[in-house]
Amino acid sequence: MSLLNPFNKRPGLNTATILLVENEEQFQQSLANVLVEETAVTVNVRLAKTLPLPMKNDESRPRIDLVVFIINLTLDKSVKSAKASLKYLDPGYFLGKVCFMVTNARQALGCTGRLDAVRQLAVSLHCPLLCAEDQTPEGVTSSARRLLTILKVASSLVPNTTALYLSNLTRCAMPPDIDQPSFD
Amino acid sequence: MDDSAKRLLQRLVRRIPTQMLRDTLDKWERLTAKQRAFVDFTQSKWTITQELLAVCEERELNVKHIAELEMIYVIGNPNQGMWHTFQLVDAEDDAHSLELVQFKEQFKTHLSELKRNVAVKIKKHTDEAVWIRIAWGDTFSRPNHLKATYVVHYLQTPFVFVSGLLSKHKPLLLQVLTLSTRHQGIKDANLSGQKLTAIRDLLMRQYQHVFPTKYPSPLAERNRSVSNLHIENEQAEASANRHRMAGEAFGNGMLPALQSAVYKLETKFRDLTNETMTERDKPLRCVVKFSSPNILESLRHCASTGIASTPVTPLLSSIPLKGRNYFVITDNAPSASSQMCQTQD
Repeated sequence: MSLLNPFNKRPGLNTATILLVENEEQFQQSLANVLVEETAVTVNVRLAKTLPLPMKNDESRPRIDLVVFIINLTLDKSVKSAKASLKYLDPGYFLGKVCFMVTNARQALGCTGRLDAVRQLAVSLHCPLLCAEDQTPEGVTSSARRLLTILKVASSLVPNTTALYLSNLTRCAMPPDIDQPSFD
Repeated sequence: MDDSAKRLLQRLVRRIPTQMLRDTLDKWERLTAKQRAFVDFTQSKWTITQELLAVCEERELNVKHIAELEMIYVIGNPNQGMWHTFQLVDAEDDAHSLELVQFKEQFKTHLSELKRNVAVKIKKHTDEAVWIRIAWGDTFSRPNHLKATYVVHYLQTPFVFVSGLLSKHKPLLLQVLTLSTRHQGIKDANLSGQKLTAIRDLLMRQYQHVFPTKYPSPLAERNRSVSNLHIENEQAEASANRHRMAGEAFGNGMLPALQSAVYKLETKFRDLTNETMTERDKPLRCVVKFSSPNILESLRHCASTGIASTPVTPLLSSIPLKGRNYFVITDNAPSASSQMCQTQD
């Protein structure tokens, strides 16, 4: 099985690589354009629609430091495709190198169920869940900035911090009235 | 001016938006410039009607002239009403050299032989289309100009577009068309829509095609721009393949704005989770209708983003390929107009 492995390649000097997985292939393009503008670090962006990634790129692909699943909450297929792609990640990624980004979380009609489902997924995998706004340039820039913060930590470019440590701070938690068992 | 002319004029003024009314009257050329200036287009439609009636009375215009005005309006704005397409079959030897004058004579003769009291107007538009306006009457009544039928035919093509035809006049019109275009038969082409320009462009294949080639992409660029160097699409090839196949099925660039596609299913119900329905022997009759401001554009987008699987299924690709938007699907072996229906999740 071609699992994507976080530690089987050597990292580059002052380089960070991020993989954006999105079924619709739209938001990832505008995010990528903003992410590569970062000057302090060389950011490589890889775009994909689903996992597994094609084998023929294995040689040339750098070590992927952060995998971001972009989910459009208005489309059911988006959620399903992201869930199906999760199988192709080595478990090592779930120690702080995976992140979920959802768009259109404000659309209440019919989406609350999906938002909860994605939140449950993020909780069970101990990953952060970011809500993003993809229609305006400001929204794209702010989402890119947040991703860059997590990316720098995940690619070990921030001293005294590791991805695992950060994930403990940023991981998603379900609101207590929904998930936690009552202690009565 | 008699009653029917007055009523037709009133109907027209109500129907045509004021700005277009001014342009249409200019094109009509039956009123002098002074008379056109007399009509005040900023007033209410009722006032405009009264003024126009007065002006037309001065010029002693009758219902035929008003019919001309309506025809000019419809030719300029053909995307209204419902147009149906017919296809002429079995051309005789001299069908390909049919000329406008000959066609006009034949059409008028045949029509008047078959039905009395019919008012016909034939006009050739600049883009080779022959427009025919028919007001039907019968032995006891005058032609009814309020419910005219419009026919558009491109000479030397087998296609005829009809709008506003009542079913009692249909066999008559079809017969006259067949005779005057020197063919032996005519059949329904299963293509209908509101926009005449769209169905015409679809049928005559007037949009940008993508032809399948063995080497679809040119040599890859050696020098990529700096920002692109850091962005890499992992599944670029798959994505490009999907785009190409969607383009091959539907075409590139602007597509004719077809607005609906109807599939009439007469297939057996197939769903593994539902035993009772699957056991029935008789086919389940159901009609599936797709509608959109531009159906071909939507389907092309579905195919290129992977929502519809590629290579595009013949159920969808036969819309542009065969130029029809009404299909009847049965369970028989695949043939020209019926294909196997697949279960959808």
